[in-house]
Amino acid sequence: MHIPDGFLNNNLAGGLLAGALGMIGYCLNKILKSITVAVGTIAGSVSEVNLGSQSFGFSENTSKYFQRLTLVALWVFAFQMFNIPVKSATSAHLIGGVFAAILAGPFAGFIIMSFVLIIQSLFFSDGGVLALGANILNMAFIGSFLSYYVYKAFSNKSQHFGVFAACFFSVMAASLACLIELGLSGSIVFSTAFKNMMSLHFGVSCIETLITLALLKVFRSVNGESNE
Amino acid sequence: MNKKKLAFIIPIFTVFLASLFASKLPDTLETIAINYEFINKAKETSSPFSGYCFPFVENHYASTFLTGIIGLALLYVLFKITTKIVKSLAKLIYEESK
Repeated sequence: MHIPDGFLNNNLAGGLLAGALGMIGYCLNKILKSITVAVGTIAGSVSEVNLGSQSFGFSENTSKYFQRLTLVALWVFAFQMFNIPVKSATSAHLIGGVFAAILAGPFAGFIIMSFVLIIQSLFFSDGGVLALGANILNMAFIGSFLSYYVYKAFSNKSQHFGVFAACFFSVMAASLACLIELGLSGSIVFSTAFKNMMSLHFGVSCIETLITLALLKVFRSVNGESNE
Repeated sequence: MNKKKLAFIIPIFTVFLASLFASKLPDTLETIAINYEFINKAKETSSPFSGYCFPFVENHYASTFLTGIIGLALLYVLFKITTKIVKSLAKLIYEESK
């Protein structure tokens, strides 16, 4: 689903890139604020807090938090390299947005997916540089950030159903957004490609669900967490 | 084996498996681009390891594995840098608010 350069109109791609950079800044700020609040909470409950070179609970917790984000990002990157054949003459790979958002939250999930896409685009030509904004919108914003809220809405009774709904939304909505971007850029006629695009990605959403469920189980057991 | 180490080994092992067994068929978007005849619009952007190929390594499997490992390393470094920046900014904000 990585859009290369050339498929999208330059104005649209540039606008989406600007929006994506703004969203990265917003999400990093959200993470920073939550950490700063944590500092205040820890500082309020401990009589002697050294914020200088000596590390205390905050530093250790922040390191652990970012180590978790790093691990999730490494897993997403690695599993995105694994293309699986779907239908005849087509392959697909995990997006990983739901996996990242469930384990790290919507803001950090967006950052994880964006960083993975940035590395893939700049170093491996997997997705265009100018098209990076569109790829971040499709796979990080829709595929991770928005999908997290779908997961939250449907996971009350069963976590598995929440993952299924989020993965289905993640893949289908991201592919629809991709189709709209291609249609607006004049690369494709939206109405003629709609059925083909959606039917192709329906199979992908089933694969995404199965892999996400398996990865969540393995990641949590490796990190000594409960699977609830 | 230490579980923390295992959490780092799994992505490395996955990259190894991907270099051996990942499908070379076009992905879903490429298939759509081929079917609707706009695949020629794609512009090849120059990057150090374009298409997950390591320069000067002719063996395809080794080349994909090496670039995968480089990708993991780059991501690790990017998160290390972000951690340092966010940590120092958080301390700065807290000290100013005191």
